[in-house]
Amino acid sequence: MSTYNVVIIGSGPGGYVAAIRCAQLGLKTAIIEKYDTLGGTCLNVGCIPSKALLDSSEHFHKAEKEFGEHGIQTGKLTVDLNQMIKRKDDVVDQTCKGVAFLMKKNKIDVYYGIGSFKDKETISIHGKEGKKEEIKAEKVIIATGSKPVIIPGIEYDKKRVITSTEALKLKEIPNHLIIIGGGVIGLELGSVYARLGSKITVVEFADRLISGMDSTLSKELQKVLKKLGFDFHFKTKVNSAKTKGNKVILTASNSKGENISLEGDYCLIAVGRKAYTEGLGLENVGIETDDRGKINIDENLQTKVPGIYAIGDVVKGAMLAHKAEEEGIFVAETIAGQKPHINYNLIPGVVYTWPEVASVGYTEEQLKEKSVNYKVGSFPIRALGRARASMDIDGLIKVLADKKTDEILGVHMIGPRVADLIAEAVVAMEYRASAEDVARMSHAHPTYTEAMKEACLAATENRALHL
Amino acid sequence: MHFEVKIPPVGESITEVTISSWKKNNGDFVEQDEIICEVDSDKTSFEIPAEKAGKLNILKQEDETVEVGTIVCTIDTESTNNTPSSQSENKNEDHEESDSPDEVHKTGEIIEIVVPEVGESITEVTIAEWTKENGSFVEKDEIICEIDSDKATFELPSDATGILQIIAQSGDTVKVGDVVCKIEVGSSTSKPKESQSSSSKTAPETKRSNESYVKGHPSPAANKILNEKGISPSEVKGSGVDGRITKEDALKASKSQKEEKKGVSEETGDNNRSSRREKITNLRKTISKRLVSVKNETAMLTTFNEVNMKPIMDVRKKYKDQFKEKYEVGLGFMSFFTKACCIALKEWPAVNAYLDENEIEYHDYCDISIAVSTPKGLVVPVIRNAEKLSFQGIESEIIRLAGKARDGKLTIPEMTGGTFTITNGGVFGSMMSTPIINPPQSAILGMHNIVQRPFAENGEVVIRPIMFVALSYDHRIIDGRESVSFLVRVKQLLEDPMRLLLNV
Repeated sequence: MSTYNVVIIGSGPGGYVAAIRCAQLGLKTAIIEKYDTLGGTCLNVGCIPSKALLDSSEHFHKAEKEFGEHGIQTGKLTVDLNQMIKRKDDVVDQTCKGVAFLMKKNKIDVYYGIGSFKDKETISIHGKEGKKEEIKAEKVIIATGSKPVIIPGIEYDKKRVITSTEALKLKEIPNHLIIIGGGVIGLELGSVYARLGSKITVVEFADRLISGMDSTLSKELQKVLKKLGFDFHFKTKVNSAKTKGNKVILTASNSKGENISLEGDYCLIAVGRKAYTEGLGLENVGIETDDRGKINIDENLQTKVPGIYAIGDVVKGAMLAHKAEEEGIFVAETIAGQKPHINYNLIPGVVYTWPEVASVGYTEEQLKEKSVNYKVGSFPIRALGRARASMDIDGLIKVLADKKTDEILGVHMIGPRVADLIAEAVVAMEYRASAEDVARMSHAHPTYTEAMKEACLAATENRALHL
Repeated sequence: MHFEVKIPPVGESITEVTISSWKKNNGDFVEQDEIICEVDSDKTSFEIPAEKAGKLNILKQEDETVEVGTIVCTIDTESTNNTPSSQSENKNEDHEESDSPDEVHKTGEIIEIVVPEVGESITEVTIAEWTKENGSFVEKDEIICEIDSDKATFELPSDATGILQIIAQSGDTVKVGDVVCKIEVGSSTSKPKESQSSSSKTAPETKRSNESYVKGHPSPAANKILNEKGISPSEVKGSGVDGRITKEDALKASKSQKEEKKGVSEETGDNNRSSRREKITNLRKTISKRLVSVKNETAMLTTFNEVNMKPIMDVRKKYKDQFKEKYEVGLGFMSFFTKACCIALKEWPAVNAYLDENEIEYHDYCDISIAVSTPKGLVVPVIRNAEKLSFQGIESEIIRLAGKARDGKLTIPEMTGGTFTITNGGVFGSMMSTPIINPPQSAILGMHNIVQRPFAENGEVVIRPIMFVALSYDHRIIDGRESVSFLVRVKQLLEDPMRLLLNV
């Protein structure tokens, strides 16, 4: 039986990054993956494939709606959905192979199969065709991730009532896609099909989109998506959804207590994800999960069983690939005797609609709740020369700073490429920069990043230059 | 109102105490009867409670030794607990902060403060600590800075009232006459005390301009390094912008004494294996620096001899009571040794000389430095013109200087300018040692204990009280012939004290 210093169960961005870091630290490491490809949800059915389709569909959308204005005549445009999906599959395939290469390069043993605890040091792996083996581990990192949540009353048939997994490989462009949930996943996939011509209806229980983020972003995003042909039902609770022939019928009740009925040809369930620990054999080591299926951990991300750690979607906190990666590194270094730190407040959130949405730190709502005296500096994207040149004029950047010290407390962006721009805010906030600090740093012209500088100037003394 | 908190009388014989720790930070709001400070005396530790509620203004820092009755802090009783929030409501003030305290009326005059002449041979000093912060308001004659010289620590008072602008930083070595700071002369519109209490707004804002909220914030990498070293960011001085702790700061940081002490005692359980760390005194720092430099920069070696002490002991035995009665001072060995050395130094002037780069400075007088052990470390007061002094003169001078040394009251001139040193390790029982030269001197005589030893005298073994003597000397300017002859001459004079009288 092979013995390892560390065995990681799950090869998503949390698990495989933890494995690489363990190997870098000289630990003999193995990783176990249930599916045939490495990379977990993110690479296979999450971040990467959705971005591939988002980019493809955005090209189509731009060609259809904006090329004329640019002076490019295209004639009639058609979508080859099969090719689009195939290209997405190729991207996924390359990325997954990249992870496999990284495992090999770092001399990490990869086991394919369902890993489960036999006892605290023994992991049994149930492979395909009844293949079974056992390995020994001094330390175990649980990184089994999450699965889409299905709410009661909804008949998830994977054909017309679907989750994000199926939405990434549809055979046709829906005429009318009903999306349950106005969060990140629903809006990204909704954007893909809206750009390709689908009518989109979003049914959301809360009173706004992306409800965890700053409400300014919700409002802006709603405006933009409306232009794209989105319809919204807020404060509406879905009661049922089921397939009837080529249609999906959805019933719901709105805030006035009225029952409404929606008819579409596809229904995407995007109400969130839940921790996934099925078949892990947690009961054999005495680890319990909370009411949301998450594994409880201490400040070192260790479960109540010494030597068994858990990271990523399977534990508390935002379900984000980059959060899982940080936790993977954290645990690897902790096992190696180091003392790393994660600043959870500075893990950015991003939404890949177009314009993109990105956010880090406190929202205005949170600051109000904490009774922090803050000031706001906001700058519209349309005031940037760069934005007018590219015809991406929607959005804004909003900087929240401490009224007394001018320290940046939150940055909220909606606009072109802001998913990339948010990194500047994270760096500034890790160093606890003041708004004026950033305002005094040279930002190349003409770029989208100038909006960050201008918003910081606005926050400093309300002295934005180009407004 | 400002309420002054003093060190209370704590016991009959206790005149001074050391502040061991402040339980509250400067500027904190304290409640009445809340413990604000812990104080150590010779006998015991005790706590000082706040006698009023208000804002704490610390005047004496931790580890400072203060006399009973000293004001250690004041409490601003008109300051209220919610000062910060009431201030932040004041919206229009947000952008109007200036960097200097606005309660000061400047006259425009700027006075430069230089390192004063502190002693003959002292050309440079080290800034030990600024007791006032840069940009703070200082009164004339208020102590603003502590300065270390080779010999002692002294305090630098402000020459004027105004705003302090520090030029030389703590730890900088500066030459006598160098400008260390400037005072932007000005007076406060009202007494500083009143200005603080009447506008609760000024105090926090002034503080802000000096100290950023971000001071002591570690970068992500620095944070990890500090965690691993077990060091709290508050113990590290940040060198980054506004006092941020950079990765380099974290790499250089070392664990504080208190923390380490705790760690050790926790691990060992019942066995008392605790170790103790104390901050090195400036005197000790100077001593260590100088001793190492002597070892490195001179060609030092030692010659030995032995002295039959019987003749001196006989003289002492015979006259010590009369001597004591007449001069009210004991007749010790030091006066014999000092006298003997003075005579020998006259004969071997190189032993009494300084080497100063390309020149040798010979002295026609003998200023004998006497090494005196004090609780804080070794000091070497000087007996001036010892060659002219009588036995009684030498003994009295030694008593006077040793007393002052033990009380820490020696002045720099009293420790400066010796031409030769005598050290007596014998009082602690040393049989033999190789003393280290006290620069810029070139030689040092080491005395040791007196032991009854078998001794050959006129072809017969007799028991005599014997002392080994050692002369360490700088071979660069003193040749073997001179050093050995000097020591032999000292031996000769001591073994036949009549020679001291006749100078033969």
